[in-house]
Amino acid sequence: MRLEFLRLWRARRPLVAAFSLLFFVALMLVGFYTYAQSKTGGHAEFRYTFENRSYFNGLTFALYTFYFGSLLVLPIFAATEGGAQIAGDTQSGAMKLLLTRPVERGGIFGGKILVAGIFSTLLVGFLLGLGLLCGLLAVGWGDLDLYPGVLQMTERHQHLPQEVALRRLALVWPAASLSLFVPLCMSFWISTWVRSPVNAVGTAVSLYLMMYVVSEIHFFQELRPWFFTSYMAYWRGLFQAEIDWAEVSQSALRLAGFGFAFLALAFRRFRRREEF
Amino acid sequence: MSQQPVIIEGLEYRFGRRKALADIDLRIGTGEILGLVGPNGSGKTTLLKILAGLLRPSAGEVRVFGLDPFRDRARVMRRARFAFAPPPLFEGLTAHEHIAHLAGLGGQRPGRAAVTEALEVVGLADRAGDRVRTFSLGMRQRLTLAQALLPRPELLVLDEPTDGLDPLAVLELRGVLERLRDDHGVTILLASHLMVEVEELVDRILVLMDGRVEFCGAPQELMRKGERLRLAPATGNLEDFAAHLRAAGHGDARVDGESVLVAAGALDLESARELARAGDFGLAAFAIERPHLQAALLERQRQRLEVRRS
Repeated sequence: MRLEFLRLWRARRPLVAAFSLLFFVALMLVGFYTYAQSKTGGHAEFRYTFENRSYFNGLTFALYTFYFGSLLVLPIFAATEGGAQIAGDTQSGAMKLLLTRPVERGGIFGGKILVAGIFSTLLVGFLLGLGLLCGLLAVGWGDLDLYPGVLQMTERHQHLPQEVALRRLALVWPAASLSLFVPLCMSFWISTWVRSPVNAVGTAVSLYLMMYVVSEIHFFQELRPWFFTSYMAYWRGLFQAEIDWAEVSQSALRLAGFGFAFLALAFRRFRRREEF
Repeated sequence: MSQQPVIIEGLEYRFGRRKALADIDLRIGTGEILGLVGPNGSGKTTLLKILAGLLRPSAGEVRVFGLDPFRDRARVMRRARFAFAPPPLFEGLTAHEHIAHLAGLGGQRPGRAAVTEALEVVGLADRAGDRVRTFSLGMRQRLTLAQALLPRPELLVLDEPTDGLDPLAVLELRGVLERLRDDHGVTILLASHLMVEVEELVDRILVLMDGRVEFCGAPQELMRKGERLRLAPATGNLEDFAAHLRAAGHGDARVDGESVLVAAGALDLESARELARAGDFGLAAFAIERPHLQAALLERQRQRLEVRRS
């Protein structure tokens, strides 16, 4: 594992991910600012969201930024990590180098998924922290008010005092990390079949986007339970005034099930495959 | 009783429907240096990968230290080291980190002194702190060899270890391998295109052609099989002289440069002189020619192609 951490640290992937997320958050800030400007006739006071005449502050900005980022941006980095760890090492020959040492395949696989999982968790925390920081500096924090709308953050108005909202956002970190774990595991599985990291990442991202779209379209509601993307935003339940822990736990367990299923398939393939 | 490090019986490997290896039987003794040679696509690297447990044989049995390398790969790797070509390396690490981390995988992490010594053996001690991505091909080859030596294995398998090395480095490598065999009894399997190196270093040679064993034995034996008699007539035309020899029962006589070649042992000096006189040619030159290993192999390949065409 030490070796994998060192290799990850020396690779450009963490830096690329960090700068990409910085750019994304900046883009979101610009987006909200220009929207507010157009809707308030030039008075850019960040007072309205596009859903309703709700109170908008730094916490709302952080939450919305994280919502979009965790569902559409972070899975790309998860797919990239899965592709790099298995397919990337296979193509570069580094996998052969590891396999010609006295280490079991399970040890190699375990080290890689652990490092990739920790990296993904750090990315989740980074995005969350960055959104909160930008929200604080650009707008200022306050109480969190959420209203029903197209983002489906809530079915009825929720008001959370600032301290409670911040604690809930802290809980989002491990919860969303679990969500991200699933596309990471799927990417690992694909990566054990495909030798080219480009193809592995492309396939993983395409599959994720397809499933995400299907799970968001009401027309496909019968298929939704079968796609892990339907549960990835389960952490929204943490922003109810009274959290329904049974529902949140159930979604978390489903995601964990999907994740470990992909992981089991990936390890089964990795254990038996030949290295050409 | 010491076990032979490598035992291969009836090995076959298929890529789809194509047989990459067939009917391979081989035993490598402890402390032996075996050279593995053959043209591109003959199956050398496939054989090495099977020994490393990276590929699963389609048929036959392979044992490395009595173990199935595909099933018990990690246990085999406690006693064997492999260095493949082109050398796979961790680009972002320094040479020191590369050796230290790899050597520590599955075992005890070596001390700084041991890593430095390994780098000194291959002449990279002064580049220990540099990133591997800045290394030339020759330096990568040396680093690959260094990582294969730490900790010292009982079986060392090297795939094209002299690629990219300058002549001095090749000489140094030969010295390292000889010391490993002589001082520590390490068994070495060496796949190489550089025939001169194989010829000088190995105890036995295994020649693969089209995935099959073409020859297995001492290099001198192969070169002896390639011996030829070179005859030059005192007068007359070379083609006529060759035809005269063929008519006398030496069907393989052929013109080569400024003389005629026939199989060694077919004629002694007296009978060659008699035969030349009988055709009014006279004999100007009579020499036994023993080819170098490369020439012997090329001749064997040529004969094989001729058999295939006919």
